[in-house]
Amino acid sequence: MKAERPDAEAAAALLRRFEPVIRSTKGDKFYPMDVEPYVRACSLWVQRPGEEAVRVVPSGKLSLEGLAQQPLDEAGAVHFLKFTDPQDAKPASRLARLNVFRRRAARGLKESRRAFRAGTGRLARVGYISRFVDALYSITLLARGRVPGESAAAASVAYERIMAEHEHYRYHGRVVRQDGWVVLQYWLFYPFNDWRSGFFGANDHEADWEKIFVYLSESEATGEVRPEWVAYAAHNYTGDNLRRRWDDPEVEKVGEHPVIYVGAGSHASYYAPGEYLTELDLPLPRPLARTAGALRGFWREKLGQYAGDLDGSSGYFHIPFVDYARGDGRTVGPGGDREWDPPRLMLDPPPDWVSGYRGMWGLYARDPFEGEDAPAGPMYNRDKSVGRPWYDPVGWAGLDKVPPPDEALETVLQGHADITARCDALRAAIDDKSRQLKKLGVEVAAMRERSHLDAPYEERTRRVAELSREIDQLRARLATDEAVSESLEEYAGRLRAGERDPARAHILRAHQPASEAELRVSRVAEAWAAVSVSLMLISFVGIAMFEREHLISMLVFSIALFAFVEAGFRGRLVNLVSSANIGLAVVATLVIIYEFFWQMVVAAVLIVGLYVLWDNLRELRR
Amino acid sequence: MVEPDKTSYRPVRAIGLLLILEVIGLAGLGIYQFSQVDWRQIDIDEPSQQAIEAASFVFFAPPAVLTLLSALSFLLLRRRGWLLAAIAQGLSVAVCLWLYSEFQPGYVYPVMAYCVLMILYLNSQDVRMVFHPRRNAAKQSPGGVV
Repeated sequence: MKAERPDAEAAAALLRRFEPVIRSTKGDKFYPMDVEPYVRACSLWVQRPGEEAVRVVPSGKLSLEGLAQQPLDEAGAVHFLKFTDPQDAKPASRLARLNVFRRRAARGLKESRRAFRAGTGRLARVGYISRFVDALYSITLLARGRVPGESAAAASVAYERIMAEHEHYRYHGRVVRQDGWVVLQYWLFYPFNDWRSGFFGANDHEADWEKIFVYLSESEATGEVRPEWVAYAAHNYTGDNLRRRWDDPEVEKVGEHPVIYVGAGSHASYYAPGEYLTELDLPLPRPLARTAGALRGFWREKLGQYAGDLDGSSGYFHIPFVDYARGDGRTVGPGGDREWDPPRLMLDPPPDWVSGYRGMWGLYARDPFEGEDAPAGPMYNRDKSVGRPWYDPVGWAGLDKVPPPDEALETVLQGHADITARCDALRAAIDDKSRQLKKLGVEVAAMRERSHLDAPYEERTRRVAELSREIDQLRARLATDEAVSESLEEYAGRLRAGERDPARAHILRAHQPASEAELRVSRVAEAWAAVSVSLMLISFVGIAMFEREHLISMLVFSIALFAFVEAGFRGRLVNLVSSANIGLAVVATLVIIYEFFWQMVVAAVLIVGLYVLWDNLRELRR
Repeated sequence: MVEPDKTSYRPVRAIGLLLILEVIGLAGLGIYQFSQVDWRQIDIDEPSQQAIEAASFVFFAPPAVLTLLSALSFLLLRRRGWLLAAIAQGLSVAVCLWLYSEFQPGYVYPVMAYCVLMILYLNSQDVRMVFHPRRNAAKQSPGGVV
């Protein structure tokens, strides 16, 4: 594998050598497929600004080659495919087809429900406010653009039809070199993301592109490649947390094939089987967030008060979703229920269907949050810009700061040499400036108490101060550089001895599945989580209608009751009590200030006066 | 049950003593209030303001009992004392605020001020660290859902 651009045969062989094994969840209906039959089944549409979407190519007439030729392109136009298009049915047979479709969809739905059990609901795992925000989010779905309800079933039927013609499981492979790494890109294409409709998730959309990257190092001498890192895409996460070292125990392997646990419906990829709580952060409006942050800082820093676990970096409201990546469904890949078909290659220069089509690969639902819009192809973002995983696959997984193992020692030694040279330069500069400083110091000493030399004395005194500060900064920089140089030397020694960094040192926050304990929520807690938000709203209406005389007290009482029960279920009684106490303390403080404002001012002045008196008298006694 | 380590005994005992001081203060204030009223001269239909204020002091009995229990827990170095103390202080302030809104008796202000200071002390980072060592909050990393 020495060539800068490997030929198709070598690339395919390399891709097949490390191709992943994907383990899906029972109930999942869609698996990675080839784009060609998908595109053939789709119609191509264009949505121009302020106009109705227009069908450009009907389904059955579209091909991968034709996809790249986008007619009617203009500023603001959005091209998109439609996998499930009712216009495809001929008018005469539409009713009959609809009936058949409904029967098949209902059967499919029943099968899915039989196969998939959600278990402990996502709502039982998060707090009241999150559940309330979740309810609002669900309501917004009615107003936002979204994938129609029957689309998942229609896509399932269409997918089954394609698979009946030719059952296949295929990934789209790319081999690329960057920064000394050989990156194997496995792009998995699913015809539909039914996370919302099938698995209580955030969204549904036609077409889903997921990716698994394997990073290889290459021996200079022999050209042999060795797997070093893998990165699995999950939602929009990027950076170090995505990446695992090949020898990390979390990376399960079948021979040389990494195993991926695929989220049901969402197709997000995970290293370990389980149920992952994914939270969609809803940030506060900026002025509110700034105020809340300032108050929080004052509370914690100035008053020394405990301010909870929130670090302020994430939002205050979260919508919880569970990604079910149980791995108990169909396994595709080496040793699995189904083997991969030969990959479709996307080697550089990329084929036209990759580089020439910048539109979306499924329905453009015009969702302002974009969650229900289909994604663009592997090369592009939805806004038609080139995506980072395509042009910078190394940086996308945070690997751009890590040299390949063969280059590591050389890079460290180079860094050490640079710092050593800088230290030498700093020492020379310090010597030079120290000499100047001494000369100036002597001059200042000589000029002291000579009235006719007042002006040059002041000027030199100022220069002495400046130079002294400058030397101090240089010495500080030198001390730091010497310490860094020492640690680089030590690090080089460890590398020479064949020692490696800890496999998980780069991971700040690993995405972990819910633990057994977290999943062990009682049925009562789950039922409470499901009904509590609605129950509270209904009780508010009841109080407003029947207890208007005691409206405020009844509302306070009912909120307190709900909060207490909730805190009990979630084991957060301590947090509830301290929050309530803080609220009461704030009100009580305001009452005291209101009642005793002038007395407090007088007392403060008195205290300051007495303190000054005590301090002065103490000085006198000395 | 895990007990606070030896280095953290000091704030624990300090809180225990402060809470006992509070109970003594409440008891003293209550006795003083009751002694100011001639209960034999009370008109049941139209009691005096002073009698109402003194009688309403009984609302401090439950928080005082809780405060005493929490103080004893603290002195015996039990972590659960924190929750008990926090509930007691919250109840005391709630009673103060209610009495303030209804009768505005003069004694609520010192009680209120003392309880506010106790709440702040109980919630201070040093004390919280002793009683509720930071749990490993394995929050999932944030990100978009696409």
